[in-house]
Amino acid sequence: MNMIELKNINKIYEDNTVALKNINLVIRKGEFIFLVGPSGSGKSTFIKLLIKEIDESNGNIYIAERNICNLKSSRISQLRRNIGCVFQDYKLLSNKTVFENVAFALEVIGKPVYEIKIRVPQVLKLVGLYNKLNSYPHQLSAGEQQRVSVARAFVNRPPILLADEPTGNLDPGTAEGIMKILSRINLIGTTVLMATHDRNIVNSMRRRVIELEEGEIIRDQKRGVYGD
Amino acid sequence: MVRTRYFFSETFTSLKRNFFMGFTAITTVAITLFIVGVFAVIVYDIQGITSSIKSQVELRVYLKDEISEELKEYIEQAIIGWKETESVEYVSKDMALERFKKQMEGSDILKEIEGNPLPASFDITLNNPEKIDQAELRFYDRDGNFIEGVDDVIYERKVVKPLFAITAIIGTISFLIIIALLLAAIVLIFNTIRLSIYARRKEIEVMKLVGATNWFVRIPFLFEGFFEGFAGSIISIILLYFICNFLLIKGERAIADIMRIKELAIVGSGNVMLYVYLGVLVLGGLIGILSSIIALRRYVKV
Ligand SMILES: Nc1ncnc2c1ncn2[C@@H]1O[C@H](COP(=O)(O)OP(=O)(O)OP(=O)(O)O)[C@@H](O)[C@H]1O
Ligand SMILES: [Mg+2]
Repeated sequence: MNMIELKNINKIYEDNTVALKNINLVIRKGEFIFLVGPSGSGKSTFIKLLIKEIDESNGNIYIAERNICNLKSSRISQLRRNIGCVFQDYKLLSNKTVFENVAFALEVIGKPVYEIKIRVPQVLKLVGLYNKLNSYPHQLSAGEQQRVSVARAFVNRPPILLADEPTGNLDPGTAEGIMKILSRINLIGTTVLMATHDRNIVNSMRRRVIELEEGEIIRDQKRGVYGD
Repeated sequence: MVRTRYFFSETFTSLKRNFFMGFTAITTVAITLFIVGVFAVIVYDIQGITSSIKSQVELRVYLKDEISEELKEYIEQAIIGWKETESVEYVSKDMALERFKKQMEGSDILKEIEGNPLPASFDITLNNPEKIDQAELRFYDRDGNFIEGVDDVIYERKVVKPLFAITAIIGTISFLIIIALLLAAIVLIFNTIRLSIYARRKEIEVMKLVGATNWFVRIPFLFEGFFEGFAGSIISIILLYFICNFLLIKGERAIADIMRIKELAIVGSGNVMLYVYLGVLVLGGLIGILSSIIALRRYVKV
């Protein structure tokens, strides 16, 4: 099944910045993809389009073979529950603790309390934050906040996981830990798309690499490397 | 799916963690509604004073001495039959003299009175004192003379006309002030709640991006808005209770004394206050919820 499909997508921001130009792309269910490219090449814009944080200027986007261009509000919420997203700026709820931030992804889908109480600590243990359950985001380092964002993105086991530089603030060791988690999630059938600048990670994993430059796809390579 | 638990605990923790914002909203509601409430009571009081003054206005119809018993009876029945009549009292010549003597007790005038020069009369209280003109006209025939048996019709013309004019003006002005105060209260409360929601717009955006529906985001805010409105109302009711029972009631008594009105006791009379309290409570809760709904409209659209 085609999990993500973009047809002739253009994104021009209000100030006329052209962020994406004529993007055509198919991502199959279960793929693991690295999205690379220099800063400002459109990686975050690409990810934001998929969860409808922003709207495309023209073209069509299909998620699980359904066009998401003209969804009404309740459908958008439903779409987002099926796409876990690690945001480049983390987007944690500043008034909630680490536990509550991760639990929120389960609250919105109506999971019962007992399940939340089991799942959240499990996931936080995986990302190495079990001892920070009751901290607030402002009490965490950047890397710790990033890991909370990772935990929240996959706690409800969505079929699609988007990660915008999820290892950007991590030391190589912790980054490797996060990559192990993403690989494992991918192994159980989740489609993973990760934007990154981390040459070592891309080169060591040898997955499909899509490279953007000034909003255009300049390379789409199976078992690719970061590039020069 | 039952989310009630989430909504309640969310509201509770949010109130706790955004204490300062909530506190500001509650104080705003308390103060503004208190001012509206006090004014409502005062306005009601003024209405009470004017209407009790008005109700003291009566129409007096002097009868000719030589009026026959049948004609007197006929006129009395006619008066009772009019729709303006609240009550009518017949004062005979003897009673009129008694009354006069009592009023003039100790005065030299009494010595000069021989016999009984005072006429008998009907004292008419009207159910609507503003209709006094109409009632008076009934004692005239087509040619502008008094009807048979009637000697004169009097009321305190000089007092009554301006009184009605003044009370009408007071009524309109106080109504306008209440409306203005109410609007000011609503705007102030709305702005406070809007600010507190504005301060949390990022939070709302994140909730939406993680997959929360509009209602899932809204409900805790609505609970919060309602709670703030409700708590503010309760505080303003407590303030109103003390102010009215200790301050206003004293002022009211003083006015009643000056005006020589027996009972004014509006502040004291439980029902009015109950309506004011109820009004404040409903208003507080309603403004709280509605402000939240309106303020949220923009931010849930992510
Ligand atoms: N809200 C916005 N309004 C206007 N222009 C924007 C906006 N967001 C991004 N851009 C522009 O769009 C282009 C692509 O930005 P984007 O954030 O997608 O880059 P990126 O590849 O994620 O970069 P980085 O690696 O630094 O995160 C940039 O030129 C950026 O300046
Ligand atoms: Mg980016």
